[in-house]
Amino acid sequence: MEREGTPSATVSPALAGRPGRTDGIDEYRRRWTWDEVRWASHCIDCYPGNCPMRVYMRDGKVVREESAAEFPTYMAGVPDMNPMGCQKGVGWTRLLDAPERVLHPLRRVGERGEGRWERVSWDEACTEIADAILDAIEEVGPEAVIAPSGCNLGTLALAGRGKFMDLLGGITTDLNAEMNDFAAGYYMTWGMFDPVSSIDDWFHSEVFLIWFGNPAYTRIPHNHFIAEARYRGCEIVNIAPDVSPSAVHADYHLPVRPGSDAALALAMCHVVVAEGRYDETFVTEQTDLPLLVDPSTQRYLREADLVDGGSDEVFYAWDTATQQAVAAPRGTLRWGAVDPALSGTFSVDTLTGVVEVTTVFDLVRERLDEFAPERAAEICGVHADVIRDLARKVASKRTNILGSLNAASKHYHGDLIERAQCLLLALTGNWGCHGTGARAWGAGFFDGLLTFAMKTRRGPDETAAVLDMRDMMMKAALDADPTLTEKVWSVEMARSGTMGNMGGMVPPVFLWYRFAGFRDIWTRAEWHDASMPRPFDEYFDEAVAENWWAPADLPGADQPPRVLIECGGNVLRRTRGGSQVLLEHLWPRLRMVVTMDVRMSATAAYSDIVLPMAQQYEKVGFGIPTSHVMHLTFCDKAVEPPGEAVDEWEAFRRIAAKIESRATERGVGPYTSGTRPRDPRQIHDAFTAGGTFVDQEAIVDEMLRDTALAGTIPAEASLDEIRRRGFFRWEGLGIMPRAVAQATEPRPDETFVPFRKHVEDGDPYPTLTRRAQFLIDHPWFIEAGEHLPTHKDPPASGGDHPFQVSSGHNRWSIHSLNTANKLMLETHRGAPHLVMNERDAAEIGVGDGELVRLHNDKGEFRVAVKLSPTARPGQVIMYNGFDDYQFPGWSSPNNAEPGMFKWLHLAGGYGHLRYWATEWQPCPVMRNTRVSIEKA
Amino acid sequence: MTSVMQPESGPTGQVAMVFDLNKCMGCQTCSVACKVLWTREEGEDHQWWMSVNTQPGRGTPKDWEDMGGGLSGGKPAPGRQPRREDFGGGWDFNYQEVFYGGKGNKTHLRPVENGDNTTSWGMNWDEDQGAGEYPNAYYFYLPRLCNHCTRPVCAEACPTGAMYKRREDGIVLRNEEACLGSRFCMEACPYKKIYFNYARKVAQHCIMCFPRLEEGVAPACARQCPGRLVFVGMLDDTDGPIHKLVNEWGVALPLHAEYGTGPNIFYVPPLAPYRLHEDMSIDYETPRIPPEYLESLFGPKVHTALDKLKTELDTVRSGGSSEILDTLIVYHWNELFGEYTTDPASLDRSPASVAVQLTTKPAG
Ligand code: SF4
Ligand code: SF4
Ligand code: SF4
Repeated sequence: MEREGTPSATVSPALAGRPGRTDGIDEYRRRWTWDEVRWASHCIDCYPGNCPMRVYMRDGKVVREESAAEFPTYMAGVPDMNPMGCQKGVGWTRLLDAPERVLHPLRRVGERGEGRWERVSWDEACTEIADAILDAIEEVGPEAVIAPSGCNLGTLALAGRGKFMDLLGGITTDLNAEMNDFAAGYYMTWGMFDPVSSIDDWFHSEVFLIWFGNPAYTRIPHNHFIAEARYRGCEIVNIAPDVSPSAVHADYHLPVRPGSDAALALAMCHVVVAEGRYDETFVTEQTDLPLLVDPSTQRYLREADLVDGGSDEVFYAWDTATQQAVAAPRGTLRWGAVDPALSGTFSVDTLTGVVEVTTVFDLVRERLDEFAPERAAEICGVHADVIRDLARKVASKRTNILGSLNAASKHYHGDLIERAQCLLLALTGNWGCHGTGARAWGAGFFDGLLTFAMKTRRGPDETAAVLDMRDMMMKAALDADPTLTEKVWSVEMARSGTMGNMGGMVPPVFLWYRFAGFRDIWTRAEWHDASMPRPFDEYFDEAVAENWWAPADLPGADQPPRVLIECGGNVLRRTRGGSQVLLEHLWPRLRMVVTMDVRMSATAAYSDIVLPMAQQYEKVGFGIPTSHVMHLTFCDKAVEPPGEAVDEWEAFRRIAAKIESRATERGVGPYTSGTRPRDPRQIHDAFTAGGTFVDQEAIVDEMLRDTALAGTIPAEASLDEIRRRGFFRWEGLGIMPRAVAQATEPRPDETFVPFRKHVEDGDPYPTLTRRAQFLIDHPWFIEAGEHLPTHKDPPASGGDHPFQVSSGHNRWSIHSLNTANKLMLETHRGAPHLVMNERDAAEIGVGDGELVRLHNDKGEFRVAVKLSPTARPGQVIMYNGFDDYQFPGWSSPNNAEPGMFKWLHLAGGYGHLRYWATEWQPCPVMRNTRVSIEKA
Repeated sequence: MTSVMQPESGPTGQVAMVFDLNKCMGCQTCSVACKVLWTREEGEDHQWWMSVNTQPGRGTPKDWEDMGGGLSGGKPAPGRQPRREDFGGGWDFNYQEVFYGGKGNKTHLRPVENGDNTTSWGMNWDEDQGAGEYPNAYYFYLPRLCNHCTRPVCAEACPTGAMYKRREDGIVLRNEEACLGSRFCMEACPYKKIYFNYARKVAQHCIMCFPRLEEGVAPACARQCPGRLVFVGMLDDTDGPIHKLVNEWGVALPLHAEYGTGPNIFYVPPLAPYRLHEDMSIDYETPRIPPEYLESLFGPKVHTALDKLKTELDTVRSGGSSEILDTLIVYHWNELFGEYTTDPASLDRSPASVAVQLTTKPAG
């Protein structure tokens, strides 16, 4: 079938006889019709998502959706953000009547997970749930009621679950630990893990390091800014063990050895320092590098070392002008008349005599000597010349590190990797200005959600009072301590639990350790890093005994869980360590497992009661409010939910109503949880504020108006207004701590980049030293040799096995939401797959599409292989999100993931190493799990 | 059925598209956008008028490049009709059994093709597999739809005259009332971009979203491509980006021009990361994607096109400016769409009003 020749430009003779025909095609004109259009988006955790869509309806049904694409150009010379969307989003309609949809309350009639159900009424379902909750309260206390925090929560779910759990006094486990998206190394450095620039700010970058991310899969609506930056001269460098899908359009692909990235970053730091390319002004002002440290103890020089009764939180630099140690100001990064030495050895009179001190910079430099390019190349596999070359570029150009959400945190030593990345950015002055930085995920801005939880009636006055009170408290605090700024104060308030502690969340580590079987896993020393000097339990016990986590160290050892309410997530699919350990250890303790979902998830399948929820387009809501997209994005209710599905607010309201009546009937009276009295006999009244908040439209209208009052969105904001406009751009930071902590005022005509107040105004960071901090001189860290940035090889989690299994978000689903969606399944092989190098496959004798068994000392799963030379020999990639029931025997990859975390993350009692919602806490990881693989 | 006939005289033209493969991330948003709009009725389950494949790869339908068709020396070349299993997909899944069958974890969710539990192909079966050897593996994404060819051999092969090329915009269409399902078009089309509707016994293919174009709205795939990379417009609009990219700068090329049908979909060919030497230092000389492979797709002009892109990149990296790259950046999204920039949400397309339009157009 040989074909050759040049294209013919002439219209074929056969057609010449019938010009201008357009017959027989009206059917397609008819298919493209509608009678109503609404604004929409998807209020799920496709973070950052927030794609404005239009939903097209016909005869009262949603027919399809289409990207709205109505963004203006914000900053001259920067491409607009149109048309945000992804394949899941533009086909979401297909989920509305999908076979995995749940339409009626279901009660299990078989064993848990057996798949035998009966339809029950909402009333029956709520009665059983209410009684189980009241039993739990009577027998254990409200802490026996657990809500894992899935992240696919829309606004009504967040509001409903948050208020319900708060009124009950139950335990909501922190979502960031559950999803393992906390970047501990960023937190150690900056006192927060989540500085986030807007996606269009990427366009300003001159060097783009795609590092721990795969934006081609996970940033579909935003990935174009990388390609466009490249067309403007930016160099794209993809750093990953595999030739990842995001390497396709990179200029360079650096095939780094799995888990060795800190060595690569430190080698670049070495080059930057050794060649004198570092930004001395930047590090002297922004970081702790000029602070004095005693090399014999590796601890900062503190006021307490110098003066009797001196502070533990006042630090020093050496003033080259006056030749003496001077206290670093805490209220500003600016040194004023002081000229701090970045390097040198100095004698200081301390309470114990004269001590030779040096600077953090000198200690760091000494450590960097271990990572000269040639040496580091042996560790990380990247050629020394390539390291040098890249380091020089980073030093001279605006550099952006893009992990989609920074998946470094999904590695055991992710914190070390992140700290090394931060050090590179610091040495090269790469944060706080356009086109620079590193990022995890950010949220905040939607102040109305925060104030709503406190409201007892409609109207602005209560919110105005809250805002006034906050202003007064802040003013009083700042007057009392002039070193505070709005940011430091806000973050401290959050750390003390006074503000912004979302729905009373607690770190899940205590639940997992005490009741979910994880103690057996975490105490396996051989799965930890060899530098853990003492048994894991000692650290855990010390952390508890020292009250480092109080009052969030719940549930207590005497508070066994009894009821679990999964709303907005899929805890069995999601939990690192796998469903098996939860089903074996946690599930038997639970008298009642309730799942509220739109679909039959793995968790739903193992529940006692499944409650049907409204899908996108069937309830009002907003996308996750984040500076990544700079918009509050509205999703309207276009249609009524089908069957007996309701929105989450309504579902919790119905349960609350039933608790109220059953508590009255049973005589379950008031009780105290934490420090607050609660009364189940009035819980519905409190939940709805005396019947004020039942209707979803009233709730979101109130939230919008309150958010406007806080100055985050335009003053005229209301439900009617956003129904007209679809989205609002952020106008201010508002009052939510995580938004305030971005430390940059949004500007209408500029892309957003965080930390400008630090870099431009010298505002301090919310860390122990009030500077970006590279020395963490907590005793545990010193003991482990991790007080300074370093590299450590990943431990053999899972045992001594030849392959490393890695992971990542997949392209075809938002978490597990779309994994069973036929439309998406059609765009791949319709089943989970494991990416494996052909040479490895040949060695174990499997061919493309064949089933393999992966197993280790922890567990096993089976999956079909997909062969590709993009996979690094010895490493296999199992993209996550597939639901348990897509694997034979329902054993998902999580069952082979130990779900370890580094013991150091239990540390506290040290400046910023203190829990607040979504921030400092232990988060189990799963990358680089060791497995053996054989043909199944 | 109402027939809509345009006047026999009047403007002629050719609507064309340029896909910038250096921005395409293989997300299939275009494919899904097309699917939810046009192919969700009976018999259309396996149809993906727009589809994106990983190249090198066997694509959809499987091994379509080996199936012949098109023209050879100006005459129709023999071609093979793709079979249902060459497309694969259109699967059923055992949802009921898994969720409500009482079998627990003794069964699991899986596609059911042709009544059993095996699947052999789908529209994107070889996604992200690629070619080469680690660490120098390579691939890129190639979105494909009907090329609305200047010489549509599909229509020429149609024995009933059901297929035709529309005068004013060159869109190749089919009168499904007249289509007898002979499938000669499927044999003839060298791009194998025609599907057969086994329920309705007619062939179907991409209609270039003509109802949208008629209202000044860009095609669903192009308008929703989050990569911002699909240019749409009249090929002879000398002020438009398509004309510049294709004819002036020569950086956008047709796919398999040697098939002889004069395709009107063009591609900016893919760059790739530098190769690595065995010692992991960078090989600036040897291209990662073998040039002969790219030539097999885009013809010999691919080399000059890529050289031009590289030169322009060098220019901007040394502080200069580039009209070509600025065009490909697309500072304002609507610049992609020529005259087709209408927001569909602004239209009145109620079934009633559209029915009026259909019946009030001059009948032919
Ligand atoms: S699912 Fe998320 S990323 Fe996709 S279109 Fe919707 S909002 Fe955007
Ligand atoms: S939507 Fe755009 S980026 Fe995505 S596969 Fe299609 S052409 Fe490529
Ligand atoms: S691509 Fe195929 S179906 Fe489309 S016009 Fe060309 S020959 Fe016909």
